[in-house]
Amino acid sequence: MLYRTAGQFKTSYNADQALFPVKQDAFLLGIILILAWVVFPLTASEFTFQTLLIPILIYALAAMGLNILTGFAGQLSLGTGAFMGVGAYACYKMVTLFPWMNPIVAILLSGVFSAGIGVAFGIPSLRIKGFYLAIATLAAQFFLVWLFEKWAWLYNYNASGAIQVPNLEMFGMFITGPQAASVTEYYIVLFVVSLLTLLCINLTRGNLGRTWKATRDMDIAAELIGINLMKSKLTAFAVSSYVVGVSGALYVFMWKGAAEPNVFDIPLSFQVLFIAIIGGLGSIMGNYLGAILIVGLPVVLNVIAGTQVFEMSGISAILAIALAAAVGFLFWVARNGWGIGAVIGFVVLTLIYGYAQTQGFRIDSALIEHINVMIIGALIIFFLIIEPHGLNQLWRLIREKLIIWPFPH
Amino acid sequence: MKHFTKLATAAALGTVLGTAAIAQELYTPNLAYRTGPFAATGIPLMNGQADYMALLNERDGGVGGVLINAEECETGYSTEKGVECYEKTKGTAIVTQPWSTGITLQVLPKTNVDEIPILAPGYGFSPMADGKVFQWAFNMPAGYWDAADMIIQYLEGEGGSLSGKKIAFLHLDHPFGKEPLPVLEMHAAGKGFELLPIPVGLKEMQNQSAQWLQIRRERPDYVVMWGWGAMNAGAITEAVKTKFPMENFIGVWWAGHDADLKLVGDDGKGYKSISWSFPNPDAPVMKQVKEMVFDKGLSQSNEEEMQGVFYGRGLVMSAILAEGIKNAQENFGTGQIDATQLRWGLENINLTNERIVELGLEGMVPPFSTSCGNHTGHSGGWMLEWDGAKFVKASDLLKPNVDGYADLIQSSAAEYATSNAPWAMNEECSATN
Repeated sequence: MLYRTAGQFKTSYNADQALFPVKQDAFLLGIILILAWVVFPLTASEFTFQTLLIPILIYALAAMGLNILTGFAGQLSLGTGAFMGVGAYACYKMVTLFPWMNPIVAILLSGVFSAGIGVAFGIPSLRIKGFYLAIATLAAQFFLVWLFEKWAWLYNYNASGAIQVPNLEMFGMFITGPQAASVTEYYIVLFVVSLLTLLCINLTRGNLGRTWKATRDMDIAAELIGINLMKSKLTAFAVSSYVVGVSGALYVFMWKGAAEPNVFDIPLSFQVLFIAIIGGLGSIMGNYLGAILIVGLPVVLNVIAGTQVFEMSGISAILAIALAAAVGFLFWVARNGWGIGAVIGFVVLTLIYGYAQTQGFRIDSALIEHINVMIIGALIIFFLIIEPHGLNQLWRLIREKLIIWPFPH
Repeated sequence: MKHFTKLATAAALGTVLGTAAIAQELYTPNLAYRTGPFAATGIPLMNGQADYMALLNERDGGVGGVLINAEECETGYSTEKGVECYEKTKGTAIVTQPWSTGITLQVLPKTNVDEIPILAPGYGFSPMADGKVFQWAFNMPAGYWDAADMIIQYLEGEGGSLSGKKIAFLHLDHPFGKEPLPVLEMHAAGKGFELLPIPVGLKEMQNQSAQWLQIRRERPDYVVMWGWGAMNAGAITEAVKTKFPMENFIGVWWAGHDADLKLVGDDGKGYKSISWSFPNPDAPVMKQVKEMVFDKGLSQSNEEEMQGVFYGRGLVMSAILAEGIKNAQENFGTGQIDATQLRWGLENINLTNERIVELGLEGMVPPFSTSCGNHTGHSGGWMLEWDGAKFVKASDLLKPNVDGYADLIQSSAAEYATSNAPWAMNEECSATN
């Protein structure tokens, strides 16, 4: 019904191989792009920009970079945080050494440095695989963070040892630093992320992407059919580290505004890895879904906890009901009983919480934080149980079922 | 699913935040950390802060007749949560209390644009003392450079000239731990002692055997510690294990937490910590908190914690904020002050001995005053000593010799302003530190 493919005939190979062989996909993407480029910037508050929109995009980009390496080329990496740091410090050095440089160019160039370092640390991947490689990238993680602390030149010999983003102008408008408006920062992040997403989609669909996938699936077989493993693995490290580096530069310049070395420590690597795994290894869209779940959801839950549920304004109530109904409907189409149960359970819990609020029940902020962590943890387990291949695969199943709906098979 | 989620949250947040009810209250949010790796040290401080505000609301009906809403926003000491809390609260807040150095670093430049006072009692950037540059930032009653200066003064007073001696500086390898280095280096050059910085990485906080091995090898005369969280307990137990003479071991005020010392009990006797606050159990305010807040079940604290240094410090922090609010209310003749008015109030604090007694805080905080040019107050402090069961005062009030590093404050502040240009400053002000 919603996703009927009947009548969409492909008359050439080109049409069959197109990015969106099904019209509805392109339509859906169009809606998302309109939302991202027009609706959100017009409606979002500063809080939404700073805690949801900008960080989700940046984390999604970082996860996309990692996904190229781990999901597409099969090389496990635990050094993402440090490579983000390389991008951030490179960008910082560039804009302070060459103040005339266009900040967006600096951000895009900073990825080149992390790509170089990524390739250097990727060399062991030619000899070792799997967990052993993970340890080698872990070494990169520890070494680079140590370097950020000890090499004072990197942070311009600041007494605090932290990097602080200067106010930089472009076309007479501040685009980085505290003087920059959130909406400007958002548009720059969106521009860079869209650009790199387009690049990643096409790279992974093309010759290089197929080489990576062959390397991932069975390296000996790939070698036998004539794939140069060294080239394949090192290009994966280079492209992945480039994307990760750019995301690191955005992370500090467009969002945090300041960073000390331990920001890039291993928790950041794990967070990005979780986004990639929960979103779905070997996918592009999954990174966005994963980032929404891991970065966006805790913020939303915090806001819900702080809202008087029964005193919501009409429009937000309608949106909340529509959202719950939509998610429930998708699970129903996918014939996923657990999913439907979870949505109903969530709605019931919210109503109980709302009722308790009217009775004067209040939970303090620390308890909310504890409960929040528990809910996020439970949701991660839940999504991995109902779909071990990640949110992207869940969406693909739902989409397939939607195409043949109302028939079950 | 993706676009639904985004749309709904964006719209829901927009409306929720837009319609926040405006009641007759002063919103002074606290970016608290009762969870996460530093929770053990955070909880007593947060309890102290919350209880003092609860006392004001119970006893006086707030400040100047307006209730204080000192709601907490939990950060777990994470900078990302901290920024989330700052953005969430800044709409109606008249002050922001960022707590962690990482959050302060990020929030400090934003407050200068958003025009909200940032209150960081006893932490944050030492150059914040220069109120002309950091017109929205306050770290009274004393900063880290004051602490370093007072520790050196105390050591001179106890053991005579420091010339030729060796002082190990055990510090967290983090912006916070590096803060006092400029002043310590200045004194090392001026007084002729050898300064030996020993960094402790964030990952090594609990296991400092390497650092203490180095201390044993180098045999310093004194160990000065800039530690926080798990690092303090790690250092103190390690010092006991390596039999370092505890009386030569001095920490900053954040390294004077009762629970850390209770781990070693009598073995920790003689350990010292410089402090601008003291938990005087005889102060009237302590009894009032007990009667009007704790006994009514309005506190999350417990009897043991309320005796501690950190709880008392939390009370003092809230008292300073309340004093700023009261000043602003009196000057502007309105109960419902805004952020700009509170800034004036915080710039004109004059906490004299009489005023401290009036507030019932005798012996808990040294007198100090602020001005538009002096946002730290440089109150000085006492050297506290662990007697095996609790901290006691081991010195008279020490006053930092601010003249020695006033130039440093000015030049560091100016450097910050240039690297963050354009940076709005208070040009009218002529006062100095």
